[in-house]
Amino acid sequence: MFLGAAPGPIHEPLTGRRLQPQDVQAEVQRRVAGYLARGVARGERVLLGFGNRVEFFADLLALWQLGVCVVPLDARLTHFEVETLARAAKARAFVGFEAVDGELAARLDGLGVAVLDSVEVARKPPALSATPPGFALDDEALILFTSGTTGNPKGVVHTHRSLRAKWTALGQALGLEKFRRTLCLLPTHFGHGLICNALFPWLSGQELFVLPPFTPEAVMRLGALIDEHRITFLSSVPAIWRLALKTARPPAGGTLERVFVGSAPLSAHLWQEIRGWSGTRDVCNAYGITETGSWVAGTTVGEFEPEDGLIGVPWGAIVAVTKGGSVDHPPGTGELCAPGESGFVWLNTPSLMKGYLDREDLTGQCVRGGWFLTGDLGFLDARGWLVLRGRVRDEINKGGTKVYPADVEAVAERFEGVQDLCCFAVDDPHYGQNVGLALVMPDGSPERLRRLHAWLRLHLAEHQMPVRWYRLDQIPRTSRGKVNRDHIAEACGRVAPVDLRGVFGDHP
Amino acid sequence: MSRDTNRERLLRFLDAIRRPETPLAAIREDENLIRAGLIDSLAVLEIIVFLETEFEIEFPATGLDPGHLTTVTAILDLIDAHAR
Repeated sequence: MFLGAAPGPIHEPLTGRRLQPQDVQAEVQRRVAGYLARGVARGERVLLGFGNRVEFFADLLALWQLGVCVVPLDARLTHFEVETLARAAKARAFVGFEAVDGELAARLDGLGVAVLDSVEVARKPPALSATPPGFALDDEALILFTSGTTGNPKGVVHTHRSLRAKWTALGQALGLEKFRRTLCLLPTHFGHGLICNALFPWLSGQELFVLPPFTPEAVMRLGALIDEHRITFLSSVPAIWRLALKTARPPAGGTLERVFVGSAPLSAHLWQEIRGWSGTRDVCNAYGITETGSWVAGTTVGEFEPEDGLIGVPWGAIVAVTKGGSVDHPPGTGELCAPGESGFVWLNTPSLMKGYLDREDLTGQCVRGGWFLTGDLGFLDARGWLVLRGRVRDEINKGGTKVYPADVEAVAERFEGVQDLCCFAVDDPHYGQNVGLALVMPDGSPERLRRLHAWLRLHLAEHQMPVRWYRLDQIPRTSRGKVNRDHIAEACGRVAPVDLRGVFGDHP
Repeated sequence: MSRDTNRERLLRFLDAIRRPETPLAAIREDENLIRAGLIDSLAVLEIIVFLETEFEIEFPATGLDPGHLTTVTAILDLIDAHAR
């Protein structure tokens, strides 16, 4: 189960809760018995509808001991999105923390998904009558949904084997010394926060300190929290650092030894500012992709000067860059770029996902011969270091949280009166990017727009909501009928956005 | 500048960054802006930038009490304290 003899202690700094390894084991065993008593069995899939609490980690380990595949969900998802994912995962159960919303429970019940409460499961469980079934290395361990929450979900399936490959590679490349008191303020429903920031050190026996994700109050106290808990390591995203640098006093205790930044491009300027604030030069740009179990390369290269796009060296992976971006020509058959020449970035790693859940078509579009086509553009420099220059992937990176235009479009296009549309990235000074929406909608009356807004609010999570709307006469398309989102962003830049506040006026 | 003038400037700014469906008038001045749904959590950063540029408040190296940015009243108190 564990990479070391046992997981480390786990703390919630904001609540003061603290579990020693033996307490963790006891919490896990209570849950093993509780889930067994409720008929949860090996090979089933269970949704965890909460995160960033000690109970989440106890549930995760208990369910793994039972051979169950765990599907951590973003707690911000709408009921509609949870229902969509529950259906896609063919989930046996949904586990909430304390009260689960009645309407959500009814919807899940209608799908035959049992609704369980983490606290209740662990309360007075019966004595274990049998040894938990455990898991095989190639059993599914985690499904992380990265997109399609409103239509065709894209779930990254990791097995216990791919996760172990990840943690073993990280341990060998990075060591454990600097991770001995790790702070996690990233959400535990995505790879960066869960697999790497939290589980890698914790399952190796290091101490884990868990905060609620993306909470300004916690970020503003970051320096004080680092000092109070003698934190040696943390990982985060650029948007969080921008807030911390403005509002949090730097740590004064000198305990911080390493900082990772990932999930969004890190500028050289911000990089230097983080070095200054944190008091350590070991600030590393960590490149990670959910499909490869997150962290797969970074600037663990000794002394260096930060550069825009600099990633560094791989951790348990081979990196190659090809001239063509076709999945039919991976490295080996595809022509490799010369040092310094930009092309398409591929990764070959034993921590690669098993595939996308029930979507062999999608898996085939990016995996060939053991190589994974990342969707990133970049080059290997003369030192062999990876440098990224952009993405061909269709996504909006909102402060490290990915928003997929197709998810927004799948909801908006179902609203009566929307004849055509396109979701695209708009620049945002704080998040880096935000969500824009171009609409062809002849009836643009305030009442109609208010209804569309309510429709989107009902189906989209907060971070997916378009913040800038544009009405166009038509959506520009290529001669082959495809949309070029960059061109549409340019077209929208020439017209005034819809005055949404004016549309609402005094209508809440 | 008087507190009333500061309030007017602050409310004008909040009106520009608020969620469109949540009118300013729906929020009490002592109500938590995020919990009341007026702004999202990272919009706090926009408030900080506003205070820096409009009121020349330099957030100190000693850090910021999160409670100072959660309500209209608290933000006005912060502006007043800086002016003194």
